[in-house]
Amino acid sequence: MIGTGIKRGTAELAVLSVLERGPLHGYEMARRIEQQTKGTLRFTLAALYPMLYRMEQRGWIRGAWEISDSGRKRRCYRLTPAGKKKLSPLRKEWAELFGALKRLTKVSHA
Amino acid sequence: MPDWQRLVRRRLSGLTLNAAERDEVQAELATHLEESCEVFRAEGLPEYEAVQRTLSQVADWKDLQRKIDSARIGKDTMTNRVTQLWLPGLLTFALSMGLLELVQKFGPRPIILNLDQGTPVLMFYTSWLLILPLAGALGAYLSKRAGGSVRMVLASSIFPVLPFAVVFLIAIPVGLVIGHNLAHHIVTAAFFTMGLGWVLAPGATLFAGGLLVHFLFSRRSGFHGVTTS
Repeated sequence: MIGTGIKRGTAELAVLSVLERGPLHGYEMARRIEQQTKGTLRFTLAALYPMLYRMEQRGWIRGAWEISDSGRKRRCYRLTPAGKKKLSPLRKEWAELFGALKRLTKVSHA
Repeated sequence: MPDWQRLVRRRLSGLTLNAAERDEVQAELATHLEESCEVFRAEGLPEYEAVQRTLSQVADWKDLQRKIDSARIGKDTMTNRVTQLWLPGLLTFALSMGLLELVQKFGPRPIILNLDQGTPVLMFYTSWLLILPLAGALGAYLSKRAGGSVRMVLASSIFPVLPFAVVFLIAIPVGLVIGHNLAHHIVTAAFFTMGLGWVLAPGATLFAGGLLVHFLFSRRSGFHGVTTS
């Protein structure tokens, strides 16, 4: 079973990575993450927003209301300088972890 | 299509954020659900199924409410426990003890039951017991308002009897074990009579008040079906 810390870590990395390419509102963010991970990572509303608010509280992202072309009012999130700074070591940590797990599972199957 | 704004406002009515922040969160989540449902419809799902799939994104609205409160306010579990249990509990305790003091000074005489000659007597301040549900209801209300779970709400309502319960469950049995000079039949009788008078009877009345508040709030924030236009 994957622990809460690991799940939260991967989810935060996914959000920061997708926001690196530009501002997005919650629904679009969830849709992009699902598409880009081919459905491996899926965010329901209940999982997404508490995390976005927590990340906003930490100063990694910032939300602001905007009106879309269709006239719908949405809250768009942007990466802050602190978020950009956080992304690089986070990527490194996860690359190391997945590399280690890959090596481990290869050894186990040998 | 459902009125998503209304649905989210109703489901997340207990958010402990300030009014502006609460409106903002409710509007944002409603927009997400609205968009999600529209996409399901555009993919060809019938309206009922699209609504159900959209709603399935939130399995437990109360849990979501707690998580949003915790994330937006930046409160940690300890702070939550203070506002949801300790503060309402201590206020309930102070109120119930204040009421007891008033009843002892100005109220009618207690009902005294002498179960057995020579054993401790059982005293019931009936007027105190009758007004105690108010104290229990106050504790439950304050805990509920702070986003407390059912367990926290009910624990806040019976908080005043918890210290007595601890004393009777620990101090008296320990006294029985180490106090060689004590008359065991008196101590055992004291355990039951005082337990009944100071824990069970007031606990039940406090609990009744807490339970009433819990049901009232549950009915108010409960799901009354999805409205469709």
